[in-house]
Amino acid sequence: MKSTRRTTCVAVAVGCLLIVCATAAGATSSAKAVTISVASLIPGSSAAAVQQFNQQVAQFEKANPNIKVQPVEYQWTAPTFAAKLAAGTLPTVFEVPFTDARTLGENGQLANLTSFVKKLPYYSKYNPAVLAEGTTSKGKIVALPKGAYAQALHYNRKLFQQAGLNPNKPPTTWGQVITDAKIISQKTGKTGYAEMAKSDNTAGWILTTVVYSLGGRMETGSGAKAKATLSNPLTVQALNMLKKMRWGDNSMGSNFDMGWSDINQQFAAGNIGMYVSGSDVYTNLVQASSIDPSIYGLAPIPLSKSKNAGVLGGGTLVSVKPNANAAQKAAAVKWIDFFYEQPLVSKPQAVRNAQTLVANKQPVGVPALPIFNLKQYTLANTWIKPYINVPLGQMKPFTTGVFKQKLIPEPAVSTQSVYHALDPVVQAVLTDKNADVESLLEQANSVAQSAISSGA
Amino acid sequence: MGLVEATPAATRGSERRLPRRTPLTWVRNGGLSTLVFLLPLLFVFGAFSWYPIVRTVVMSLQHTNLVQPATWVGLQNFRAVIHDPLFPTAVKNTAYFAGLALVFGYPIPLIAAVLMSEVRKRRGIYSALAYLPVVIPPVVAVLLWKTFYDASSTGVFNTILGWVHIAPQPWLQSQSTAMPSLVLESTWANAGATMIIYLAALTSVNSELYEAAAVDGAGILRKIWHVTLPQLRGVLLVTMILQIIGTAQVFLEPYLFTSGGPANSTLTVLLLIYNYAFGNSLGGDYGKATALSLMLALFLALFSWIYLRATRSWSTE
Amino acid sequence: MSSVNDNPARIISQAEWSTPSVRYGVRSLQLLLLVGLLVFGLGPILWLAKSAVTPTNDTITHPIALFPHGFAWSNLHEAWSNVDVARYFWNTVFIAFGSWLTQLVVATTGGYVLAVLRPKYARFVKGLLLATLFVPAVVLLVPLYVEIVRLPIVHHSLINSYWAVWLPAGASAFNVILVTRFFDNLPREIFEAARVDGAGPFMLFWRIVLPMSKPILGVVSVFAVLASWKDFLWPLLVLANPDIQPLSVRLPSIQSQTELGVFLAAMFIACLVPIFGFVLFQRSFLRGSGLGGALKG
Repeated sequence: MKSTRRTTCVAVAVGCLLIVCATAAGATSSAKAVTISVASLIPGSSAAAVQQFNQQVAQFEKANPNIKVQPVEYQWTAPTFAAKLAAGTLPTVFEVPFTDARTLGENGQLANLTSFVKKLPYYSKYNPAVLAEGTTSKGKIVALPKGAYAQALHYNRKLFQQAGLNPNKPPTTWGQVITDAKIISQKTGKTGYAEMAKSDNTAGWILTTVVYSLGGRMETGSGAKAKATLSNPLTVQALNMLKKMRWGDNSMGSNFDMGWSDINQQFAAGNIGMYVSGSDVYTNLVQASSIDPSIYGLAPIPLSKSKNAGVLGGGTLVSVKPNANAAQKAAAVKWIDFFYEQPLVSKPQAVRNAQTLVANKQPVGVPALPIFNLKQYTLANTWIKPYINVPLGQMKPFTTGVFKQKLIPEPAVSTQSVYHALDPVVQAVLTDKNADVESLLEQANSVAQSAISSGA
Repeated sequence: MGLVEATPAATRGSERRLPRRTPLTWVRNGGLSTLVFLLPLLFVFGAFSWYPIVRTVVMSLQHTNLVQPATWVGLQNFRAVIHDPLFPTAVKNTAYFAGLALVFGYPIPLIAAVLMSEVRKRRGIYSALAYLPVVIPPVVAVLLWKTFYDASSTGVFNTILGWVHIAPQPWLQSQSTAMPSLVLESTWANAGATMIIYLAALTSVNSELYEAAAVDGAGILRKIWHVTLPQLRGVLLVTMILQIIGTAQVFLEPYLFTSGGPANSTLTVLLLIYNYAFGNSLGGDYGKATALSLMLALFLALFSWIYLRATRSWSTE
Repeated sequence: MSSVNDNPARIISQAEWSTPSVRYGVRSLQLLLLVGLLVFGLGPILWLAKSAVTPTNDTITHPIALFPHGFAWSNLHEAWSNVDVARYFWNTVFIAFGSWLTQLVVATTGGYVLAVLRPKYARFVKGLLLATLFVPAVVLLVPLYVEIVRLPIVHHSLINSYWAVWLPAGASAFNVILVTRFFDNLPREIFEAARVDGAGPFMLFWRIVLPMSKPILGVVSVFAVLASWKDFLWPLLVLANPDIQPLSVRLPSIQSQTELGVFLAAMFIACLVPIFGFVLFQRSFLRGSGLGGALKG
């Protein structure tokens, strides 16, 4: 009996889905009301951002009268996710990074969305590499892409100007980053170059980015047989650059425990000349820290001449709680379709989305990487062109440069554990003048290797 | 659970004295209402103290992450913890914290309490001032001190140091100064409580002892050395044990100040337990977490035993 | 206070006190102590109070200066309404109230059985209680969490329910032992007299024992409320929904997105209740603390 009810629910839900997709207007159905909770914004977002989100929810509920959506503030951080997962307190729809979805899916900790996803009209258009991040080894789709980013260099144009540097010519080599950072810190007294160094894996994430840009890798091979290669000459080189800026030039300020949110906050407050983070960070700079747009500049990560040099790319996926029932899963996929995917594939939805954002002074047009293909991405950008309110001109160095860069995915096996092993190494270099880089890396390498071998 | 254990003991006990008692007489004699009064205690302790203690032992022998069914792994969790390179780091850091906390937080409250006990007017102001930091919520205390520890030259402490021409200190931003900074805050937050304990003990010292010492010609310092300190022996032991038990479980300071950094220099045992259980985004390792908890508990049980012995003899003295 | 305050000082005898060098020497040392307590004990709290109403920019650039550019009373208002401190504040109050109630119920009923009714198995229960004193709180963290996530027998999750905080709070062996010891010292003749007058166990508890125990109930209450107000890790784990979290859990998570001045105002608000409570019930606080710090563990 249970199974028959389940199938009808699925059938009704899929029916609704098709109607929505076809008409994108109010779908009425006799299906029972279903409630889902969805990840909204990160804690501490501005009132305008919250209002914008709630308007989107209202639009969705109007179009789907039998679905009730409860927004829940949400931020994925490595040290807080496991408790929520274990306790079952995640919202029905939540976000995970590329690094984790597949393993979580293999462990049965994400709902299987395959049947729903395959019915989405744009299913076949996904970039296969991106969709693979949310597909288990058995071919179950457990997550859909929200967005992809390439790492980028964010810089403060005002500080560049004050330091006598040309804000239209951001550094294109790491050598220039180092000299510019020194000039900025000497001329303005602010931090020239800052780097995330918190023990929540962000330190390792950024170090890996820099190592990639020099042509190094953190792993070779795949699966449990993968080999950790944290301890390599290019990692040493990356750390020595940090060492020079921190201890030689004193251009890195005085705070070495910033995580993702903290460094955004400091940058938006005008205290940081340059830092590395995902290309899509501007959204957070506006939503949580109300950055003055005129100071913002975005450039690609400087790449070395090595043929292996590339830019680290990652992204965020959207998943559904494993214990969601069929009706909730259907409703969840509808929300994912409405909130995350439609604005990228459907002109009316993209325009409506942009209008809502603009009306609430939220950013439209933040550079990201395509999760379908470049053509679709460019097309979607033309739809929202009249609404773009981010300083696109100031992001030009990045938007013209990034597509010439080689995109390299994050370390494939035990990614977060690899990053976590690197955290203390970065911290040691920034907080101990005499840190022994080689032996610290040896140690980190063995920690990472044991995580890889045990599948943690 | 506690109920099941308690009832047979009760019947056994009563059988010895009144062999022909029936359940009915038991009820009539108030046995049932006694049990009703005991129910809240049995329920709360059974469910939230005794049962989880047993579970700790069980879980430490299992591999479990709440998703897949638990499997028995023997002592593997304990071996994994001992071979974890972070384990000696955490033990060392915790011992360092506890040691520094004793250095900072042991003699000063004692000296202050002795001085306070000789205040003749408005002693209440002294004890109130000393105790005030204790009532500040620890989270607020830590976050407030984190502001003080701002390592830039315009940080609160660095500004004050600037007045006396001392260069800005890195405080939490250096491996060598992070731990002392944590201890400094924790001493600020806790010393008041220790001071009040000493003060209460000082006022309960029999004044005839001082008079006798005075008759023998002892001066103030000699009275302190020969009367006060020996009389406080019990209390001094108790506060030391309490402090060791407390500091061995230090969590809030490293968690909120530094997340265990920089470079694991403030990673404590409890933070490591927390990280085992909740730190990995792919799911917790509850086996390792409970194994390490048990190891810490066995170590601390020794101190608890001393504490209980000491308080017993001290309170009957 | 009386026990602490009114006793004459005794290390220094009256004769020694009459010597000017001793009197002035000790007095100046005591003055030094007072200044030290004011600067180190009270100083940080005063700084918080000052900065709560100082514009953020002044606090960042001149942290020690006194209002170089006037006040920012708006910080308090902003914190209270826009950062929703009001809600977290009342959450904290509600949590503290529930924890207080369970602790009081468990400690008084339990103490009553162990000290007054004294059934045969009381020793056994007491032994089990004492045994828990050997077990540091950390041991319970993970299994208790796992239990709350999925309660045995009923298979229900208490996550995001205040019961998950209230019920474990009741399992404080120190409370029970403290109350038991107090009840032990009550004159048993009164109980016998009441029994002769026909008072049942409930009447005896409610009309005789509780009214006679106000001092110890005061101590237990003060520490129950304070402990709940201070608690962090446990509510952090079991109250995942931000809407129901207490201040101590909420403050760290909003820090990086809140303007410093407003954040300091929020922290200041979080201190007000404990500070006022302390000023009002100083006596119970200090007496409880003097009991060998037994409640600390």
